[in-house]
Amino acid sequence: MSTTDIDPARLAIFDSLVSSIAEEMGAALRHTSLSPNIKERADFSCAVFDQQGQLLAQAAHIPVHLGAMPESVRAVERLAPWQPGDLAILNDPFLGGTHLPDVTMVSPVFAHGASDGDEPIGYVASRAHQADIGGMAPGSMPVARELIQEGLVIPPIRLYRAGELVEEAMALILRNVRTPDERRGDFNAQIAAQRLGERRIADLHRDYGDDSYLRTTAALLDYGERLTRAALADLPHGTWEFSDSLDDDGHTPDPVPIQLRLTLTDDRAHFDFSGTAPQRAASINAVAPVTRSACYYVIRCLLPPDTPMNSGLFRPITFMLPERSVVAAQAPVAVAAGNVETSQRIVDTVWGAFNQLLPERMPAASSGTMNNLTAGGIDPRNGQPWAYYETSGGGLGGGPEGAGLDAAHSHMTNTLNTPAEALEFAYPLRVVENSIRPRSGGAGHHRGGHGLIRRTQFLGSAQLTLITERRTQQPWGSQGGESGRTGRNSLETTSASGRPVRRKLPGKVTINVEAGDIVRVETPGGGGWGAPTSG
Amino acid sequence: MTVSNSAGVSEQQERVHDLLLGVDVGGTFTDFVFLRESEISIAKRPSTPDDPGRAIINGLGEFGWSPEEVVHGSTVATNTLLTRTGAPTALITTKGFRDTLVIGRQARPDLYALHPQRHEPLVPQRLRFEVEERIAADGEVVTPLDVEQLDAVLNRIERTGVRSVAICFLFSFINPAHEAVAAERARERGFNVSASYEILPQHREFERMSTTTANAYLAPVMARYLDALELRLSDDGADGVRLRIMQSNGGSLSASSAGRNAVRTVLSGPAGGVAGAFAAAEADGCPEAITFDMGGTSADVALCPGRLLERTDLVVDDMPIRTPAVDLHTVGAGGGSIAWFDPGGALRVGPQSAGADPGPAAYGRGTLPTVTDAHTVLGRLRPEQQLGGTVPLDVDRARQAIATIAGPFGSVEAAALAVIDVVNANMARALRVISVERGYDPASFTLVAFGGAGPLHACDLADAVGIPQALIPSAPGVLSAGGMLISDITRDAEQGLHLTVEPDAQGDIEALDDAFAVVAEQAEAAIGEDGYVEGVAIELAADLRYRGQSHELTVSLSEGQQAEAVREAFHRAHEERFGFASPDVAVEVVTARAKARHVGYRGSVGASQGAVASESASAVVTWDQARDTQILERGSVVEAVSGPAIITQIDTTMTVPPGWVAERLASGSLLLRRES
Repeated sequence: MSTTDIDPARLAIFDSLVSSIAEEMGAALRHTSLSPNIKERADFSCAVFDQQGQLLAQAAHIPVHLGAMPESVRAVERLAPWQPGDLAILNDPFLGGTHLPDVTMVSPVFAHGASDGDEPIGYVASRAHQADIGGMAPGSMPVARELIQEGLVIPPIRLYRAGELVEEAMALILRNVRTPDERRGDFNAQIAAQRLGERRIADLHRDYGDDSYLRTTAALLDYGERLTRAALADLPHGTWEFSDSLDDDGHTPDPVPIQLRLTLTDDRAHFDFSGTAPQRAASINAVAPVTRSACYYVIRCLLPPDTPMNSGLFRPITFMLPERSVVAAQAPVAVAAGNVETSQRIVDTVWGAFNQLLPERMPAASSGTMNNLTAGGIDPRNGQPWAYYETSGGGLGGGPEGAGLDAAHSHMTNTLNTPAEALEFAYPLRVVENSIRPRSGGAGHHRGGHGLIRRTQFLGSAQLTLITERRTQQPWGSQGGESGRTGRNSLETTSASGRPVRRKLPGKVTINVEAGDIVRVETPGGGGWGAPTSG
Repeated sequence: MTVSNSAGVSEQQERVHDLLLGVDVGGTFTDFVFLRESEISIAKRPSTPDDPGRAIINGLGEFGWSPEEVVHGSTVATNTLLTRTGAPTALITTKGFRDTLVIGRQARPDLYALHPQRHEPLVPQRLRFEVEERIAADGEVVTPLDVEQLDAVLNRIERTGVRSVAICFLFSFINPAHEAVAAERARERGFNVSASYEILPQHREFERMSTTTANAYLAPVMARYLDALELRLSDDGADGVRLRIMQSNGGSLSASSAGRNAVRTVLSGPAGGVAGAFAAAEADGCPEAITFDMGGTSADVALCPGRLLERTDLVVDDMPIRTPAVDLHTVGAGGGSIAWFDPGGALRVGPQSAGADPGPAAYGRGTLPTVTDAHTVLGRLRPEQQLGGTVPLDVDRARQAIATIAGPFGSVEAAALAVIDVVNANMARALRVISVERGYDPASFTLVAFGGAGPLHACDLADAVGIPQALIPSAPGVLSAGGMLISDITRDAEQGLHLTVEPDAQGDIEALDDAFAVVAEQAEAAIGEDGYVEGVAIELAADLRYRGQSHELTVSLSEGQQAEAVREAFHRAHEERFGFASPDVAVEVVTARAKARHVGYRGSVGASQGAVASESASAVVTWDQARDTQILERGSVVEAVSGPAIITQIDTTMTVPPGWVAERLASGSLLLRRES
C-alpha cells in the first residue's frame, strides 16, 4: 500500500490523535485502580494497535512492556473470530505475557455500525502489574524454579464475550489470588480503560473514514521506520561485542553470562545473543519479548526526544536469540526475575556494546537492578491478608554530560516509590529510613549516582522475598571511570539474648520475619565516567 | 460565620468598590485596569524587570490614578523559584528522611533520556538536618521528640547564618505536636519558619516537604518585595492603600499574608488570566468555558465547568507545589513556535520558539519559519496592521522562511496551512486532556480566546476539538489584570485525615465534622487577619477516594452532611469523572478543606466603547483556498460578520473562517459561531 500521499502534517496530526488515545486509557486506568502499585507507582502501560496487531501508539510508561505488547495481541489471535464487546485476558509469559503479575487485557475494536462477521479495525491493550496473582509467596515474585510456583497462569481466554462478563473465568481467577477485592477493583479499572480505548479508536476511524484511516495508520508505521533508519544511518557501522552477567540464579552461586554481538549496517541493527547462558531452573529467565523490549529501549534512547512510539520504529531491528536461553526462555521455567532483573542486565549488555561505538555519548552502567521487595501476611490490625510490592532505584551511570542521578530508577522501569505516609496506612509496616547511600557511586571525571538505603520495619510476622541484583558484580564504569558499589541486603533483628544483630541476606531470598524486624536494602551506585581527576 | 455552598453567596457582601486597581506585572508589559466611579480604564506600560514595582508606581503617577485598593498579580514567586534566587533555607525533618527532598518519588523525569538530569533541590545536603522523633500513621508517638537534639540543630543552623527554616516531620498532618514544638522553638530563636502542618497539612511526605521548603525559600523574598511596594504606594500620597496579591487559585489575599504564604502565589499571573477570561465568559452568559491564552512561546488552557477548577498537582522544575492553583495546562505552542521536519519526514511545530529575539521572520530579524510567518503568508496577519503598534510585518521575509519547508506541500500557501494545522493539533491535544480525558464534552463549552495569538486560532481549534463557539472578550490584552480586579478575597485551610465512611454505617463522620469545624475556623481566622470579618462565606470540600485508591477527588460538601450524603456526593463525582461508581466500597476521607470567601468587585471589566460602523476593506486571504475576505477594525463591528473575515484590534487579530459568523455582544465581546 502506498503511503506517500499522506502529507507530513497529516502524519504528525494523526500521531498526536492516536497517542492521545493511549494516554487517555492510561489516565483512566491509573485514576480508577485500587492498588497502590498501579495508582502510586504507575506500573502499567496502555497501547493501540492496527488490524494486523502492529503497535500504533503506546503511552510512555514502562519500557519493559515496549516489545511485549504486540506479542499479547498476537497471542489472542487464537480466540478469533471476535464479536464486538469481546475482551481477552492473559498473563502466560510464554503466550503474550512477560511475568505473571503483569496481567494483560486485549480487546478488538470494531467500527461504529459494524455488522456480524465484520473484522476488527484494530485492538487496544493494557497491561498492569498486579500486586498479587497467587503462587508460593505474597506478591507472586518468589525465589522459584518453575513457572507454576510463581502464581496463577492465565492463557489467553475471553473475560467478556459480546459484552457479557464470563463469570466463571473471573471467579476462577479471584479464587487463586491473595487479595481478591483489590484484584477485582484493578481488573475493573483495566476493563474501563479498554472500553474507553475501543470507543475512541472507533470514533477516530469514523472521523477519518475507513480508507483514509487504513492508509494513515500504514503511513504512521512507515514514518516510524524512517525515524530509526535515519538514526542508524548516523551511527558508525560495524560489529561490537560485549558481555555482562547476573550475580546468580538464586539457587546456585554461579554468575549467569549474557553475551551480545551487535552489528550495525546502514539500514539494520542486528542483536545476536549467541553464547548467552541456557535457561535455568530459576526465575531469572527472560522470555523473548522482554529481551526485545530491552534492545528497543536502548535504540529509543538514541532517537530524538518526542519520537513517537510505534512498531515501525522496530522494523529495522533483527534478533538472534538462542532458544531456551535466559534471553529466550521456554516452559516450564520460572520467569518473574527475568522481567525485572535480567531485563536490566540485557540493557547493560546492549549499553556496553554501544559504549564502544559511541564513547562520547553513552553514560556508564546504572545500578542494574530494581531491588524487588515483596512481603505479605495477615495484618494484625484487622486480620486481613496483605501483599506489598516495592522496587527501589539506585545510582545512574555518570556520563559525558555530568554525574549520574542519585537514587533514581533506571532503564527498564520508572515506577514511583510508595510514600511512607501512604504505605503505613495500608500495611503493617513502618519506613524507618529512606536515604541516599553515601559514596556508593563510582568515582570518575563525572561520578556515578549514589544508591539508596531503605529500611522497612515489620509490625507483625510476615513472609519477605527479595529479588535483587548487582550484589556481587559491580555496575561498570566507562572511559576510565570506576565501578559503582554493589548493593547489600540485611535483616536487623534481635538475638535470643536481646542484642540487636544485623544478618546479611543473599541477593535473592525468601524468609519469615517477626514483628520488630527491619529489612535493610542498600542499592548499588552507578558507574563513574572518565578517569577521576586527582586532588 | 456564614456558611453556604459555593453557589449561595451571602448578602452581607454589598461593599462598594471604588478606586480599585488590578495590575498584572508580566515579563514584557505591566497591565492596569482601574475602576473609578463605576468606570473602567485600562492601560499598558513596559515592565521593569530589575524592579517590578517601578512600572506600577510610574504608571500610576503618569495616569494620575490614586487607588485605595490594589490587587496585584506578581511573578516574584515564580521567577524566584525558576532563577533560584530565594532565601538560603535549612530543612529539619524526621530521622531517616532528610534525603527525601532529593529522592522524591525516585522516578527520572524523562524515560528515554540517555543521560537523565534533575534540578538541584532547594536545600543542599549540608542544610538538611534530622532529629529523633516519630509519629505513627494513627497519630501515636513512637519516638518522642528529642528537644536537645533539636536545639543543637538550631544552633548549627544559626552558625551557618541561614535564617529561613522549613520543618517537615512524618505524619505531622495527623499529629502536629512535634512539629509545633519545633516551630515554636525555632521562632523563639528568630528564624523565619515554614512548618509543614501549617503550610500543607496533607499526606505524602515528599510533596508536603517540597511545598513547605519552597515556601521557606520564597517567603522572605516575597515579604521584602511587598513591604517595599506597600511603602512606595503610600509614599505616592495614596495613604493606607490596601494591597492584595493574586493567589495561584484565582483568589486574592492581603500582602502581609502573601508574605508568609508565598508558595500560594506561584501561578499568580496566569491565575489572573484564567479568572479574567472566565469572568468575561460568565458575564456573557457562557459559564461553561475553556480559556485559551496563546502568546509567543506557549499556550495555556484551562477548563471552567461553570466555576474555576483548582488543581493541587503543580510541579515546578521537578518540585511538587501542592497548594491549590487554577487548573492550567501549558503546551509549547505560540506565535513564535518554529516549524521543522523530523528525521522521519513529519512536519513538527515547536516546542522550540524564535522567542522575542530573533522572533518570527516576519518581524524582520529571524529566518526560521514560525506560526506567525504562516499567518502572514496566508494573509491572516495583515501587513498594514502594526503588531503592538511598533513592528511592521515583512511579508516577503515570511514567505522566504515558509518556502524553506514548502517542498513536500507543493506551494508556500499549502505549507503555511500545514504549519497552522500541526500547531492546532498540538493545542487540540492539550484541550482533549483537560476535557474529554476527564469526562467533559467539549460540545457544551465556549472557547474563550485571548493573548496575542489566541483569537487567530480560536475557530480552527474549536473545530478540531468539537467546541461549537468561541468568545473574544473586549479587552483581551489586559484580561489578567481584569481577573485580578474582580478577584474574591479567599483563604484556604486544609487538614489531612484518614477517616472511613463504610457503605452501611456512619463510620467516622463525627470526626469529619470535627475536622470541618477546625478548618472552617482556621480559614475564617485567616481571612479575618486579612481584614475581612463581615460578609465572609465558608465553603467546605473534602478529598475523597474509595478504600484502596490513592488518588483523590475533591468534592464540595456542606457542613453537617450525613455520612450517606457524603458517600452519595462522592459516588456522583466518581461517576461523572470516571464513568463508574462502586457503591459497595468504603469511602475514605483524606483531606478536609475550607475556603473563606469575601466576594470582590462584580462587574464588567471590559472597556466597552461603542462600535461605529465604517467601510471595511477586503483582501485575498488563504483559507481552504484563496478567498476574498473582509478586513475590519474591531471598533467597526456592529452587525454580524460572516466569514471569511479578519477583525483586527491594537494587540490582537481575530479570524472568522468561512462558515463562521462573528457577532458583537452588548458587553463588547465578540461571539464566533458556526453558521447554521
